[in-house]
Amino acid sequence: MTELIGVPGTGLTRLGLKLLAEPSRVAPVVALDTRGWISPEAAWETGVLAERLIIVRCDDLILWPKVTAALLEGVRAMYAEVPARIKDHDLRRLTALARARKVAVVMRSMGNGLPTGIAHLRLRALGVTWEGVNRGHGKLKKRRLMLEASGRGAAGITRRFEVEDEGTDAVRVVSDVVVDQVGRAVGRAGSRSR
Amino acid sequence: MPRRDAEALAPFATVLVRDLAEEARCFEPIVEMVENLVPRVEVMSPGLLFVPVVGAVRFYGGEGPLAAEVAKDLGGLTADRRGGEALVGIADGPFAARWAAATATSDEPHVVTDTIGFLSQLDLSTLRETMGGEEMIDTFRWLGISTLGDLARLPRDTLASRFGNPGVLAHRLSTGEDRPVNPREIPPELGVQMAFEEPLESLDAVAFAGRNLAERLLKRLRAAGVAPHTVIVTAEAAFGPTRERIWRSADPFTEKALTDRVWWQLRAWVEAAGIPGGIVGLSITPTDLSGEGRQLGMATDESSGIEVDRALARAQALLGPDRVLQGRAQGGRMPGERVVWSRWGEPEVERERDPDAPWPGATPSPSPALVPPRLQPIDVEWDDGMPSRIRLGSRWEPVLTWSGPWRLSGRWWAGERDADRYQLVTSVGAFLCVLSEGKAFLAGVYD
Repeated sequence: MTELIGVPGTGLTRLGLKLLAEPSRVAPVVALDTRGWISPEAAWETGVLAERLIIVRCDDLILWPKVTAALLEGVRAMYAEVPARIKDHDLRRLTALARARKVAVVMRSMGNGLPTGIAHLRLRALGVTWEGVNRGHGKLKKRRLMLEASGRGAAGITRRFEVEDEGTDAVRVVSDVVVDQVGRAVGRAGSRSR
Repeated sequence: MPRRDAEALAPFATVLVRDLAEEARCFEPIVEMVENLVPRVEVMSPGLLFVPVVGAVRFYGGEGPLAAEVAKDLGGLTADRRGGEALVGIADGPFAARWAAATATSDEPHVVTDTIGFLSQLDLSTLRETMGGEEMIDTFRWLGISTLGDLARLPRDTLASRFGNPGVLAHRLSTGEDRPVNPREIPPELGVQMAFEEPLESLDAVAFAGRNLAERLLKRLRAAGVAPHTVIVTAEAAFGPTRERIWRSADPFTEKALTDRVWWQLRAWVEAAGIPGGIVGLSITPTDLSGEGRQLGMATDESSGIEVDRALARAQALLGPDRVLQGRAQGGRMPGERVVWSRWGEPEVERERDPDAPWPGATPSPSPALVPPRLQPIDVEWDDGMPSRIRLGSRWEPVLTWSGPWRLSGRWWAGERDADRYQLVTSVGAFLCVLSEGKAFLAGVYD
């Protein structure tokens, strides 16, 4: 269970969909969409096979745990947006089910994050920078997303790293050596996100 | 013709969604009529049925008289009550018989005496209905093979090494060797039954029981390492005769295919003539098994696919069919236009725009990961024609840099206005905005 933490715009939806690319080569994968905004086009660009991606839209707080449980019974990998007011005990039961069924789940809370003890790995967006545009010229080309990993999946150590995404399925993880430099360059972004 | 073009040409036309269950219900009297003449009717799909004629030919004194008898009764039924026409063909094997019927007329059934000679003249496209394989058929055409006769002359082992199982199947069909019926003994315990103390009378209850039974049958067959090509669906009425129908499929039945057929059949029985007193017993018995469904691909996980189908069917039952969707690429300039949505498990919706067309002025990749279903009004402040701040929720974010404007010329003849697109970059992310008539709208979030 991986949790993505960050405000819309930081690139976490694309990162979550990217994590479905590899599982989609062997079986269908699901994106659970609470707002009806997830675009499959971005998922296809990250390497998710179009014929294996199913989008399930559910904005109902009562149905969401039931639908998620039903999906966890069958799928091998899922990206799920979590509505803000889902009860903690529902999330804990779903986590136990995902562990029992060995389902790779990426969750993104639409509220203040998941309760502690749910996620095996937490990825928090610290800042994002874009290359390719300059005051009217060019177009968005490359995104650099700074992430902080924590939780048991990061061996209990808080690590920082950077993800480069050029709009294709080649998402590169680069060393955290450069992170401080980029962090200084977008210092305002980092402080705002925190 | 794309639906949009058809609607443009005929705005008064009503678009109807194909209802296979309704077709099965309308087809039921025809199946019953043929069954009265020849037993063991096998229904392939609503509108197409097969009958083994070896015994009936002796009874009626030849294939010609039998075909004429069937055609006469069918003609009367379709002309008097249902409209349309009934076509009858007789040949060695279901594939040849199906195309014999296609080349018959309602007055004159087509009795094929030389099946291999008849097949050799058929176009390659006749394979498509039985086995798909669009790409393989295109390759055959590219190699100069246009008829089944051309294909039959190729060595089978060469086709097997180049195309694998589909190549062998295509060769087998073109040489008149229809799918061999597996003669293995079918243990009676492979069938599934359900008995009901309270007779089932409502369609919903019948549908639920049918689905449950189909799932149980396939689960049991999977455990035995086989898959069904033909099943007998039996319904026992509380006050009336037990009804039985055989359904056949060229490919092994999948869970959805079998559930659909069981549902169509039960609905046809309940709605067409009614089941006196309700249903007290249901059973599905496989009569023709093969090991084809057991062969798992190396790069795919078939068993996992079946579990996913079940999970999605459950999600669909909870949320409704419009909430479980699959997207396909289509042409368009804005991100929201470039995806055509279809309901999962249903036929794909036809594309309105060709995705391979050039689409000059299309918003470049990377695509926004979040695209609102409709353009959302958003507040953007401008400073001397350049974006300076954007309002995100309750706070204003300075625009660090941007690209655009990119002109989006609307279809003026349809009342669409011109607009400008901007990619706005802030410290918390990038956004695709559209500026139209002085108002800004959010078209996507590069999340």
